Amino acid sequence: MTAVAQSPSIQLEGGTFKVTGWKATAPPTKGWSSVFTIYAGSGDVPALLGKYSVENNTLVFRPQFPIAAGVKYRAVFQPPGGTAVTKAFDGPPRETNPIARVVNVYPTADVLPSNQLRLYVYFSAPMSRGEAARHMHILDENGKALEGTEAVLLRGEELWDPAFQRLTMTFDPGRIKRELTSNRMIGPPIAEGKRYTLVIDREWPDARGVPMIDGYRKPYRGGPALRTPPDPKQWHVTAPKSGSSVPLVVEFPVSMNYPLLQRMIRVSGPEGTVAGTIDVQRQETQWRFTPKSAWKAGNYKLIVDTGLEDLAGNHIGQPFDVDTFERVTEKITTATVSVPFIIQ
Amino acid sequence: MRRTWTTIGIGIAMCLSIVLALSATATLQSGAAQLTAGKVQLTSAGPMTFGPAGILFVGDSLGGAVVAIDTEDSKAPASAAKINVEGIDAKIAALVGIAADQIVVNDVTVNPVSKNVYVSAARGRGPDAAPLIVKVDGTGKLSLVSLDNARHASVSLVDAPAAGAPNARQNPRTQTITGMAFVNGNLMVAGLSNEEWSSALRSIPYPFKTASQGATVQIWHSSHGQYETASPIRTFVPYTISGQQYVLAAYTCTPLVKIPVSQLTPGAKVKGQEIADLGAGNQPLDMVPYTKDGHNYILIANSAFGVLKLKADNIETYPAIVEPQRTDVAGVPFDKVTTLSNVQHLAAIDGSNVLVLTGSGGGRGAAAVPINIATVALP
Repeated sequence: MTAVAQSPSIQLEGGTFKVTGWKATAPPTKGWSSVFTIYAGSGDVPALLGKYSVENNTLVFRPQFPIAAGVKYRAVFQPPGGTAVTKAFDGPPRETNPIARVVNVYPTADVLPSNQLRLYVYFSAPMSRGEAARHMHILDENGKALEGTEAVLLRGEELWDPAFQRLTMTFDPGRIKRELTSNRMIGPPIAEGKRYTLVIDREWPDARGVPMIDGYRKPYRGGPALRTPPDPKQWHVTAPKSGSSVPLVVEFPVSMNYPLLQRMIRVSGPEGTVAGTIDVQRQETQWRFTPKSAWKAGNYKLIVDTGLEDLAGNHIGQPFDVDTFERVTEKITTATVSVPFIIQ
Repeated sequence: MRRTWTTIGIGIAMCLSIVLALSATATLQSGAAQLTAGKVQLTSAGPMTFGPAGILFVGDSLGGAVVAIDTEDSKAPASAAKINVEGIDAKIAALVGIAADQIVVNDVTVNPVSKNVYVSAARGRGPDAAPLIVKVDGTGKLSLVSLDNARHASVSLVDAPAAGAPNARQNPRTQTITGMAFVNGNLMVAGLSNEEWSSALRSIPYPFKTASQGATVQIWHSSHGQYETASPIRTFVPYTISGQQYVLAAYTCTPLVKIPVSQLTPGAKVKGQEIADLGAGNQPLDMVPYTKDGHNYILIANSAFGVLKLKADNIETYPAIVEPQRTDVAGVPFDKVTTLSNVQHLAAIDGSNVLVLTGSGGGRGAAAVPINIATVALP
């Protein structure tokens, strides 16, 4: 089945392990894994998964997954009737150049309502998940991290976008809901008049495991709770002149949920949905829509999804916390509302 | 979970109401009952539950889908084995060749027939992490469930994209699957959006074949007094009370609610009943109902409260909590199980044992502690 040609040795080339100096012919009865095994990691661990082949009389092992940075590999070759050969290999070096930073955190306002519901953190590069509890902190005005029973954010609940560049964190809803014991005993996550600092550590690893370029700090002040659902009747719409391509501007009395502003308002005109780009300004109180083509005169409307939320999770026609037990059972709500305006 | 589940009843789906929506726009990627052999398209491997005959349902939050995989693992063992694997994250890491801190364990379940353990995990912590499903047999041996050529079917939870809409990879909106259970031929899937607060519970007939209208479920949460908000279901299990099939669903901060399955019909509105409130500032993680010495219990693992043993005898006699309560704890009584700590997941094995996953390397963010799985006698 095999013949010893010279002293066998093991190489790692191009992500595959090879036994050289030993002529492989037919596989042994118990398979090639009985003579050649690769281990990744130390201690009592199972063998690395992969496939064996014989290429030009050389025994080759191709790992099922690529060779990874920071892993120590141990290859063991036990030729039948011969002496075992063991060789250690290091995976490729870990990358060290930092490329990620926090681009923005929404809401961008300096004042958060005491019933603030969610934070959205935008990173410049894909990040590692499972790190927020270690690397994201809310400090009180004395610089003390709010943890344990004082924790402000739901620990361990990281909601990422598919690119892992936007993280959604939720404030503890148990402290937001009125009349809940923890709401009355501990108070809401954000107290009116108090000062807080959001801190994101530079050590948060990106998807490659490399820390960020910089950490991030943002001070906030606690404001009054937002209990009134957004009402499009209170919005101020500034319609541009026909023939121009200047943005349509919609102003809200309070800051709104930034990600939802990207997709829950659209513009409909005499020829149907108007194509254009959305820009959100002024601490998410201003929604600007620049049309792809110049405005034409006519009757228009904003079509607004009633799921559009303010910072506290109140959405159109419905506050975040309300007695819904009896009165809404049969209520049928429409999914959108419209706000008319005219282009002249 | 991903991208756009249609939730029905937007206006009323506030905090402790949930939406049961089998979206009419759900796209079915499988044929009818048949499973297709081939490569399983899985972007991530999250919550799991077993269906009939060795069918493993895997929630793919990043792919916006649920996949049914035939594990071909439907042989009962000669005798029940006690499984005890310490440092399973390091062992999985060795199997797939990556540093142990790059393994994220997402869920664990037990095949009800073979009693083999299945662990869903990710090889890596970033967006390109490979999904893994690892089988642990009665001897503690690990093997990777092949996704390259398995009989499978999938159902998309993503609404058909509008023309000109960004593709899935560019769309930042996701629906994280928080739990799944197979009840009366239907796969029930609970989810949580990373944008809007409204949440969804879907019921998908299996074999995957049809789409239908959804039902809205409203739930009263006692300790919130007169105020209610729409909160996502964290975990739920099928449960039979007086011969009637329910699901017991647990929410953040932490009401336990019973919902009659018979009423979860397409288009219906159902009022779930709260039967216990475990208190605030906590997230329920997993539930396992069982019977011991003639008494009924439900074991509940929690993020802040440890493992609780709910005394479920005569659960049908507890009146629904319909009046505002001014205390955190109400309803069906429970004890804390002090012998179990740092539990992240529970999975039913049989009438005497439960599988317990402990440790904190599983993506819950605390300092990494080795992840262990062990068979433990039901308390």
